[in-house]
Amino acid sequence: MGVAVLLKQVPDTTAKISVSGGRVNEGSITKWTMSPYDEYALENAIKLKETGYGDVVAISCGPARASKCLTEAAAVGADKLIHVVTETDTLDSIQTQGLLSAAVKESGCDVVMCGKQAADTNSGSTGPGVASALGYSCVGAVTEVSIEGGVFSATRLGPSGLEEVEVRAPCVFTFDKGDTELRRPNVRGIMMAKKKPIESLTTEDLGVDTSNSMISVESHSSPPDKPAGQKFVGPESVPDVVNMLRNDANVI
Amino acid sequence: MAYEALDFFDIDSLLTEEERMVRDMVRDWVEERVLPNIEDACRDGVFPDEWRVEIGEMGILGAPLKGYGCPGLSYIAYGLICQELERGDSGVRSFASVQGSLAMYPIWDFGSEEQKEKYLPGMAKGELVGCFGLTEPDYGSNPGDMITRAEDGGGHFLLNGAKMWITNGTIADIAVVWAKLEGTIRGFIVEKGDEGFSAPEMKGKHSLKASVTSELVFQDCKIPKDRILPGVKGLRGPFSCLNNARYGISWGAVGAAQSCFNSAREYALSRIQFGHPIASFQLVQNKLSWMLREITKGQLLAYHMGKKKDDGSWIPEQISLAKMNNVDIALEIARMSRDIHGANGILDEYPVMRHMANLESVKTYEGTHDIHNLILGRHITGIQSFTREP
Amino acid sequence: MISESSNDSLHPITAQLVGAASSIGGSITVICPGGIGSNDAAHISGVSKVISVEGDCFDTYDCIAWSKSLSPLIEGDLILSSSSAMGRDLISSIAATKRLPVVQDVTGLSKELLATRPIYSGKAVEEVRISSPCAISLRANSFEAAEEGGNAEIRIVNVSQDISVAVKQALAKAGERLDVSEAEIIISGGRGMGDPSNFSHLYEVADLLGAAVGASRAAVDTWDEIPHSMQVGQTGKTVTPNLYIAVGISGAIQHLAGMRSSKYILAINKDPEAPIFGVADYGIVATWEEAIPVLIERIAEIRSN
Repeated sequence: MGVAVLLKQVPDTTAKISVSGGRVNEGSITKWTMSPYDEYALENAIKLKETGYGDVVAISCGPARASKCLTEAAAVGADKLIHVVTETDTLDSIQTQGLLSAAVKESGCDVVMCGKQAADTNSGSTGPGVASALGYSCVGAVTEVSIEGGVFSATRLGPSGLEEVEVRAPCVFTFDKGDTELRRPNVRGIMMAKKKPIESLTTEDLGVDTSNSMISVESHSSPPDKPAGQKFVGPESVPDVVNMLRNDANVI
Repeated sequence: MAYEALDFFDIDSLLTEEERMVRDMVRDWVEERVLPNIEDACRDGVFPDEWRVEIGEMGILGAPLKGYGCPGLSYIAYGLICQELERGDSGVRSFASVQGSLAMYPIWDFGSEEQKEKYLPGMAKGELVGCFGLTEPDYGSNPGDMITRAEDGGGHFLLNGAKMWITNGTIADIAVVWAKLEGTIRGFIVEKGDEGFSAPEMKGKHSLKASVTSELVFQDCKIPKDRILPGVKGLRGPFSCLNNARYGISWGAVGAAQSCFNSAREYALSRIQFGHPIASFQLVQNKLSWMLREITKGQLLAYHMGKKKDDGSWIPEQISLAKMNNVDIALEIARMSRDIHGANGILDEYPVMRHMANLESVKTYEGTHDIHNLILGRHITGIQSFTREP
Repeated sequence: MISESSNDSLHPITAQLVGAASSIGGSITVICPGGIGSNDAAHISGVSKVISVEGDCFDTYDCIAWSKSLSPLIEGDLILSSSSAMGRDLISSIAATKRLPVVQDVTGLSKELLATRPIYSGKAVEEVRISSPCAISLRANSFEAAEEGGNAEIRIVNVSQDISVAVKQALAKAGERLDVSEAEIIISGGRGMGDPSNFSHLYEVADLLGAAVGASRAAVDTWDEIPHSMQVGQTGKTVTPNLYIAVGISGAIQHLAGMRSSKYILAINKDPEAPIFGVADYGIVATWEEAIPVLIERIAEIRSN
């Protein structure tokens, strides 16, 4: 019993990202927030807790600033807060998933919820990866989940379309934006969150070796400038423009 | 969130994490619930009841008051709440100011234990709405000569008179009314259903349209004896309330100014004339630069005022300065911003003219600009110049 | 590599995966979950071997169960998949099972496994060196597809794997229309649409693209049938879609403010002097009556491929 929520702190999605010296300028990022899809995971975790499923354990892997995410989670109802303190930009997926899985094991939770992908990398590896590492089932792109008689019913967008599926714990659910309204914190929640202790764990505590990452970032750069606008005459040009939107701009 | 509030001297770094979280909570609420609906609310002249409920749910009413279900936040936090609400609309911030500083505060400071237990918890939740009855049709800047009076009727008080320009009046469950009892100003709690009490709404406003403004009419209004506020006599009562509200307004005005500044800057960068964005013209940059200077100064004033409120080292004249200065510059910034928007500035597509109209009221209520000026004049010289009397 | 299927046939991105792998070198094996598209895969030039994995477990999508079936059959220093939702799911669980690092949504890859990928929703580009053995998902239309002409052997493997996810029922697609503030693609109409009923054509395009339909303030003010909630403009809604299609909208400043931060803007307007062409990445001077049908046709064509 108990729901673990994996939260990732990312630059606010409207923040301007600038690159200098071959690296994204982290210092110029003025606002860090909880990754948007993770907010839906947190909301659903708290909803599940309200049915009596157990405590919500919020887990975040990141440097010191990531603890702000955990306090925000406490302000809306997370019960326990675990901060795995580590720089994350040098870790590979095995290491990150190793840390998160170990933290989930520590928490004793049999249900894990996270966003379907984080707003910084848009990778989406964590959910299925952590499920595999823990030996849990996995249902992705979920918009709603409920429980009855020990069986979870989840609405998910699968390859065949929108489906209602059933699954039992232990399970990982990754979340998409749904119709679910995200609850707002209130002053009482904020003040209680301030007092909530955050359990800080090191990578050694969790037994994960974070040296020898299998990836190394060589550089960051700004995206190439968009070419100047092009003007075409006549409806005959439509198919060509659509092709350009698809192949050059990659928006269709 | 897309909104980036001007913070040129990094006031943000002076805030505690709790203050920042409270500010962000209100900012997000205004962004999601107020901004998409405010123009309609203004056109229709209504304060949507859902906002009362949601503000109550956030737990921000009566922000600096402690106990009885009240939030017990710092004055800085209270200021930030006002700033974010007023960035949305002065009418929304007025609802919270009246409820917290003018209705909850007098009960909290001057009420009996029974009164505090009876009213404060419900008011903190927004379930009981309060209003503040001081101003009269013929007595605004001169409240001391008010004619609303209370008579001892034996087992009850009898109130006669009328109050005007009362925010929340028509939707209020209780009114904290100041009236003369044997020539001395006392505070009385009047409840909605009391015999001889009515609160008609004042229509036809060009300002604070998304706010309820009312008259309070007392015609042999009968209230039980236990409704008098025991803890204060004289103008000190209402003035204490006004000081708290004025403090909040000094932050609120910054919020309105920030909104107008953002809009002007965005517009100036997008509007092309003579082949260039108007943001490239010197006269426009001059105006934006002035706005930046004044907002920054206003923020520092408000922040320091908040620190003094929190450590108790403040005097009322300081609050007069803060309210007066910040509302003045906010009004000027709203006008300047409208000017930068050109003709587009008169459309409700942009918030500037709404802020401009609202700020005319904010300049007038809670002590007019001129009154605060004279309060400072008296402080400087020791000589009062409000009246011709010696 | 893990092949990608769609509507019971091989998705063209599989050929792109082969193309990418070919430029790196080594023998290429294509694995087809559920056996879909195995014949077509065998005909892609450069493919040495196709493994068609069949079994009941492929009737329901369960990425853990699928990866348990596929993992034992996958060997090699480099595992590739498409970066579609399913592709990324499968490759993450397979990579985790095999304890290989995975890097997703790569748009460029060198022989030495120096990968390029967008980060921060495309606001920056990352170059990352990956040690082999590893798993990488590739973005569609970023790599040359391999030609046809191969003739690889197909090995059929039957697996029986328990699945933990059961489908209770398929759900109709949400009937509600996407809100402009949430959509990645928006198509907006202005007064140039002539009549509010003509917005139905915009809805047709929107349904094909999974887009939201918006309107300019002029349209909202002129026609009661176009509600305020559709308006793209100042009033509280900032839209930042990947693609904004402005139809019959002049592009005067009042509208621009609301959609300026769109990643790409396509404008369709019959007036060649319309200001919107000044901000559009792609502008088409044509009446909407002529242009929209062609747009619908072309998009439908792409969708069905």
